[in-house]
Amino acid sequence: MNRNTQLGISLSEAVSSVAAGMREITVKVSGSKGRHGSGTVWWPGLIVTNAHVANSQVHDVEFEAGMKVPGWLVARDCDLDLAALAVSAPLARGAAIRSASHLRAGEMVLALGNPFDGRGSVTAGIVHCPVGNSPRLLADIRLAPGYSGGPLVETGGSVIGINSMIVGPLGCAITSDAVEEFLSRFHLSEAA
Amino acid sequence: MPSTLAEFSQQLANTVEKAGQSVLSVLEGGRAGVSGTVWREGIGVAVDHTIQGLEEVTVILPSGKETIVSVTGRDPGTDLAILKLPTDTPAAALGDDSGARPGEIVLSIGRRGTEGLAATYGLISAIGGPWRTSSGGRIDRWFRLDLNPFPGFSGGPIINAGCEVLGIATSGPGRSAAVVPAATVNRIVDQLVKHGRTVRGYIGIGVQPVAFPEDAWQKLGISGGRGLLIIAVAPDSAATESGLMLGDVIVAIDGNALQSGASLQSMLDGESVGKPVSLGVVRGGQLMKVAVTVREKSAS
Repeated sequence: MNRNTQLGISLSEAVSSVAAGMREITVKVSGSKGRHGSGTVWWPGLIVTNAHVANSQVHDVEFEAGMKVPGWLVARDCDLDLAALAVSAPLARGAAIRSASHLRAGEMVLALGNPFDGRGSVTAGIVHCPVGNSPRLLADIRLAPGYSGGPLVETGGSVIGINSMIVGPLGCAITSDAVEEFLSRFHLSEAA
Repeated sequence: MPSTLAEFSQQLANTVEKAGQSVLSVLEGGRAGVSGTVWREGIGVAVDHTIQGLEEVTVILPSGKETIVSVTGRDPGTDLAILKLPTDTPAAALGDDSGARPGEIVLSIGRRGTEGLAATYGLISAIGGPWRTSSGGRIDRWFRLDLNPFPGFSGGPIINAGCEVLGIATSGPGRSAAVVPAATVNRIVDQLVKHGRTVRGYIGIGVQPVAFPEDAWQKLGISGGRGLLIIAVAPDSAATESGLMLGDVIVAIDGNALQSGASLQSMLDGESVGKPVSLGVVRGGQLMKVAVTVREKSAS
């Protein structure tokens, strides 16, 4: 096998393995009228998703392993399009979170979620432009409605944003930094 | 294994950063700014229609410095314009677009105002041969790119994974990203720098495609049934000088049977100005030869 084929396979496997690692912290969130979106386990007990996905008091939250629990709305910011759901589930860990401020244009990112038929999916793209001070990150990535609320991760497997909307051909995510600020505004913090 | 992915990711970002050193922002272009590429020392290239009607534009150089530069040449045929830049901006590393292959990774780099660099990525989907734009410009190679355009990307470079510029990004049909290949840009920049404009030939005729019935071909002694019927002759033009008349049907150029309307366009490239061309013409049912000396098209 020549080196290029090897590298191609390594890259493929690497993307798959990052995606596999991320499925544990990606959930499916039921919305109104049979619609569904996604959510990200920010820490054990707390799911972060979009405000447009979580628009009622309680939602069904389904984990990759099949476990289904109710998620209670505990925070919502419609301007930022963020919401937080409290769940009672035996989760060992939440996502590894990293600031989006260091990301450069061209860096690869993966989006996870539950588009179309509602089963877990991953899509890959690149950071479109550096975030600067904005709470929104633009990526050259193909999102679809069911990805909303799911994690946007960088190649190391850390979450750097929450997928939230489609802007023309590009995808938009709320940065992890904006999520942290949103959670502290609602006085939500991980139990020690 | 994840480190391979991280490496790949960093390399993509490094390539964007490196190419970005030759990408500038043109503030007045398009709706909220467009990009430009430092093609050679002191010469920037932008997409002509994005800066139409402007003699000077405000640019933000890769260094961050904002300055006003003049538009020193335009070629509507290929939709390219050149800007006079300060000489201390590094020129892009130009690639050989003839060596590009379908499947290669390409990046579109743009800079809009003070936002900084922006990029999208994709593949070269297909590569074709030379073609002509609707305004008569000759494009050396056709590329189909599987790559997203984005606001302000026009005028920026399309680069390959080796960070070499394959061409200038522009809008394609149906909101796609298209590229004017480096070979074409080089040719146009040469002409614009030399003459301030691209030289186009002009004969002074309006034509309409016609087709002869098959039995007429042999009777007339022409091969193939295609012709161009002259439906207008401009006064005081190369056409009137040569004696071309309304109703003449052009069937051959320099002995070659007419392939299409585009054959006439190829007669009008800058290189043919001042040169005589022999046209095979059917007049009054007779085939004859008319010599035409192509003149230069005036700027108006």
